[in-house]
Amino acid sequence: MDDKLIETGITRRDFLKNTSLAVGGAALMSMVPPGVRSGAWAAGSDAPEKKEVRIGFIPLTDCSSVVMAAVNEFDRKHGIKIIPSKEASWAAVRDKLVNGELDAAHVLYGLVYGVHLGIGGPKKDMAVLMNLNHNGQAITLSNQLKEKGAVDGPSLKKLIVTDKREYTFAQTFPTGTHAMWLYYWLAAHDINPMKDVKVITVPPPQMVANMRVGNMDGFCVGEPWNNRAIVDRIGFTGETTQDIWTDHPEKVLGTTADFVARNPNTARAMTASIIEAGRWIDASLANRRKTAETVASKSYVNTDMDVILERMLGRYSNGLGKTWDDRNYMKFYNEGAVNFPYLSDGMWFLTQHKRWGLLKGDPDYLAVAKSINRIDLYKQAATAAGAALPKGEMRSAKMIDGVVWDGKDPKKYAGGFKVHA
Amino acid sequence: MLSILVIDESRTRAAEICAGLALAGHQVAAVLSSALDLARQVEAIQPDVILIETDSPSRDTLEHLATLYRDLPRPVIIFAQEGDAASIRGAMKAGVAAYVVDGLEMARLKPVIEVAVARFEENQALRRELAAASKKLSERKLVERAKGLLMKARGLDEEAAYASLRKLAMDRGKPIGVMAREVVDIAGILL
Repeated sequence: MDDKLIETGITRRDFLKNTSLAVGGAALMSMVPPGVRSGAWAAGSDAPEKKEVRIGFIPLTDCSSVVMAAVNEFDRKHGIKIIPSKEASWAAVRDKLVNGELDAAHVLYGLVYGVHLGIGGPKKDMAVLMNLNHNGQAITLSNQLKEKGAVDGPSLKKLIVTDKREYTFAQTFPTGTHAMWLYYWLAAHDINPMKDVKVITVPPPQMVANMRVGNMDGFCVGEPWNNRAIVDRIGFTGETTQDIWTDHPEKVLGTTADFVARNPNTARAMTASIIEAGRWIDASLANRRKTAETVASKSYVNTDMDVILERMLGRYSNGLGKTWDDRNYMKFYNEGAVNFPYLSDGMWFLTQHKRWGLLKGDPDYLAVAKSINRIDLYKQAATAAGAALPKGEMRSAKMIDGVVWDGKDPKKYAGGFKVHA
Repeated sequence: MLSILVIDESRTRAAEICAGLALAGHQVAAVLSSALDLARQVEAIQPDVILIETDSPSRDTLEHLATLYRDLPRPVIIFAQEGDAASIRGAMKAGVAAYVVDGLEMARLKPVIEVAVARFEENQALRRELAAASKKLSERKLVERAKGLLMKARGLDEEAAYASLRKLAMDRGKPIGVMAREVVDIAGILL
């Protein structure tokens, strides 16, 4: 009896799902040029199925390799034309990926995983083609905190305990990378992001303005907005994300599983073009300068070039008088180490989604990462671009709290944190 | 009468929309022309419906509220400057309850909001149904495991194991799924 009820439930659910898919599918199919399938078959080649691709981006320094792939025409070499498309919010990026208005996007690693699992929004099978950059995000704290003596993690913890009020911290998207860096950093200093402070989501270009009017005590965001806060004298860098996890994954080239299934050659060509662009950016200081000049313009990030360039070159000042040359500045290629879509990188975001209650149970970590991260396609693209490949599909890192993540036992790792939701 | 929050950062449409809403008999709780402090405002106002532009950066803030307050989600109605078919379809599929195109006659605002709210509620009911179905599934798994443990530990056959699990549950006034979880948990310590 019980079983029968459940069976009926599933059937009904599948029925509903299939019906809505059929409607959406029919709409999608009407947009496919006839003969795409037969064309691919007849050519029997690597020719891109789709020659012009729209790739969405959010105005941040780490959109650089996508932009430079188009500006320097690395895309032509691989038989495609990339049209970068500036987007106003991650929600819009997601919607446009899901409905096919965008073919791919510069997008937060964790967001792609969140959409694949349907966390807090639509559910759709997704794909990560490559990682776009390592490092180059930061946690900015407000000058008001500095006046109260909070200049780093330990002193912030002390202030929160002794001077009780509501402390507000901002990140950029609930499932995204900045939320996870912020939560990880707070928790590493025994501050529970779900209980001890209030967390809000604010779009990157609005972070500085929000802090200026006193809406928040700290935020985690990508450059150039942390450096902008220092230049505008409203805050300082409390921690760089490379000091939370050196060479951490960050933005990816994300798309839907459908797009990859229909356009494998185009997906490979996009990946190869952007690998080449990243290699070009990392090749010299002059190229980095040229990149900063390009992405600073109104069509892309729309801020002063100097604000972008300093940290792109690894020249950091924290706004409290300390300056240093950071070896682990934002990298786009680093001899190919940046771009490989490691399964352990993808799984890490799932472990943190679980840790903070965004996922109610443990997913099949490895299976999810294997279905999203398209390692085979990446390997072909890297070969086409002449980029080196690592030996394994996992990597190991020691985080700011001394805990090592190597991808071997994700369930145990996710459940092993003292501070959690 | 619904309480409606309008977010109009470009300040181009707010007056027109407010007039339309008032005509339709709704209350405009607030018009925000800037995203500053949006999270706090939504919490304070507790609107029934939120109206926002497609290209508003503040949509990410609303996403966060949706994950935070899963029990209290609100229908979001998006309006756009241009209404090409693809982006409308996209917004619909993305779970946005309704999509209003620029140039809409204000007389039509009332039915649009009504339809949006109705569809949103349907969608929420479906989600609840889904959650209940998957809970039931995991409950069944737990019962199976508890039964297996009882069979092994006490040498019972399947029917007797189920009967003793049911008796345990009834004696303690607990649902069988909860009892099964306890048996599995305790077995984990003892065995």
